[in-house]
Amino acid sequence: MYGFEAITVHNGWAMALAGALIVFSGLVVLSLAISQIHKILTLFEKEEKAVDFQQDLKAPKEDEFEDKPLISLPKQLPADINEIARLYQPLIDELAETFYLADLYEISRKNKFPHPHITITAFRESEILIPYGEGVFTWNLPEENDDNTEG
Amino acid sequence: MELLFKFLSNTGYYLADPRQIIMIVVGSVFLYLGTAKEYEPLLLVPIGFGILVGNIPFFKGFGLGIYESNSVLHYLYFGVTTGLYPSIVFLGLGAMTDFSSLMARPVLMLLGAAAQMGIFFTLLGALALGFLPKEAASIAIIGGADGPTSIFLTAKLAPHLIGPVAIAAYSYMALIPVIQPPIMRLLTSREERLIRMPELREVSKKERVLFPAIAVILCCFLAPASIPLLGMFFFGNFLKECGVADRLAQTARTSIIDTATILLGLTVGASTQGDVFLTGKSVLIFFLGAVAFSIATASGIIFAKILNLFLKEKINPLLGASGVSAVPGSAREVHLVGQSEDPENFLLMHAMACNSSGVIGSAICAGILWSFLV
Repeated sequence: MYGFEAITVHNGWAMALAGALIVFSGLVVLSLAISQIHKILTLFEKEEKAVDFQQDLKAPKEDEFEDKPLISLPKQLPADINEIARLYQPLIDELAETFYLADLYEISRKNKFPHPHITITAFRESEILIPYGEGVFTWNLPEENDDNTEG
Repeated sequence: MELLFKFLSNTGYYLADPRQIIMIVVGSVFLYLGTAKEYEPLLLVPIGFGILVGNIPFFKGFGLGIYESNSVLHYLYFGVTTGLYPSIVFLGLGAMTDFSSLMARPVLMLLGAAAQMGIFFTLLGALALGFLPKEAASIAIIGGADGPTSIFLTAKLAPHLIGPVAIAAYSYMALIPVIQPPIMRLLTSREERLIRMPELREVSKKERVLFPAIAVILCCFLAPASIPLLGMFFFGNFLKECGVADRLAQTARTSIIDTATILLGLTVGASTQGDVFLTGKSVLIFFLGAVAFSIATASGIIFAKILNLFLKEKINPLLGASGVSAVPGSAREVHLVGQSEDPENFLLMHAMACNSSGVIGSAICAGILWSFLV
């Protein structure tokens, strides 16, 4: 058997048409799928970045805590060492009862106190900072209430 | 004296058959094309030498010929008849293939689909010429221009045709520089050949890793019979792209594919014993193979031209010719034809995209035809 008759008898038309359609549709679907891969990946990456950004917003960095000043300083520090000591009080409250001068220096620097090294030396000379032994100091708070009473 | 005569009567000189001599000449031509002309030497050299080995005259029943059940060649041929070698070759091909260009321009995959039309036209032609449906399907798959796929499908549907189908498929793959350029020039104008393709976007590693996993699912769900080919193909590609199995990928694309190619080529060549191979059917298969390959090339080009009617950014229609899965021969040819018109037109990467989609397309076709005819 030959010719169109053979093709018809052996179901050739249907096989050729169905086969062509299947392979075409298969590759069309695959091409559509791969054309979307990079878009989906980009979307995921954007979402990840957005989540990271939100987490960053919700949980500020440790540095930010540390950098945030505990008090607002006047443009110029007062001349009186006791007045300066009162400005330092919130920082002292953040420290333990006894502390190292290095810690006081560090917290002063982070809170943008001008010339903390000189101020700390002045505190020692004025006996506002009193040695407690083994390199630690304690804070000898000036009698603020008495001053106020007097004033 | 009697012993000498007996020995002489057992030599190849005495037993030679004209058909074997013809095949030895054919094998020599293959070796010449492979070595002197460097036409697909990795295929033509093993096949050509296999033709020489398979056509040396011998006395039957001594376990020497490839069709004798206890011969060494027969055991090696087992990998062909079971479809083992084609699967292994596909593993290596996957580990070699870079799908970046295809992922960057997915529309080019349609050209790979269009080029498969040669398979279905040839199916009709083979049926019309009196071949049985399974034989017709085995012949038609030559249009995919994919040697391993042709051998795989023929082994499943019409094992008695493996020799002619494989030789026809590989011959036409080797003759791409002769067959394709005239068809390309005939079907395209100079202006079309001058169309430049835009630079491809960069494809991320994540995309390249995801591709084989997505593709194997989509393709094998559609045509499960193509699992032995596409399963191995995409597995090889995943090994390449995942980045944690470089050693395996390296072995797959070197030692493994080389071993399979040597054994495949040698045994397919040896299966062309003159008395089995030189028949009227073989001549018809060669004729239909040429028709299939030409129609496949033309279908890809014509489809690219049709696409251009709808696309803002035109595609160079030459790329349609690389929709056949002869990797990388047809891509190279498209590039060369493009450069012959405009030396600064670089079509190679785009053509490779069509080529790799052609590999996928022809393997799906094999799966479809197999499932239609079992």
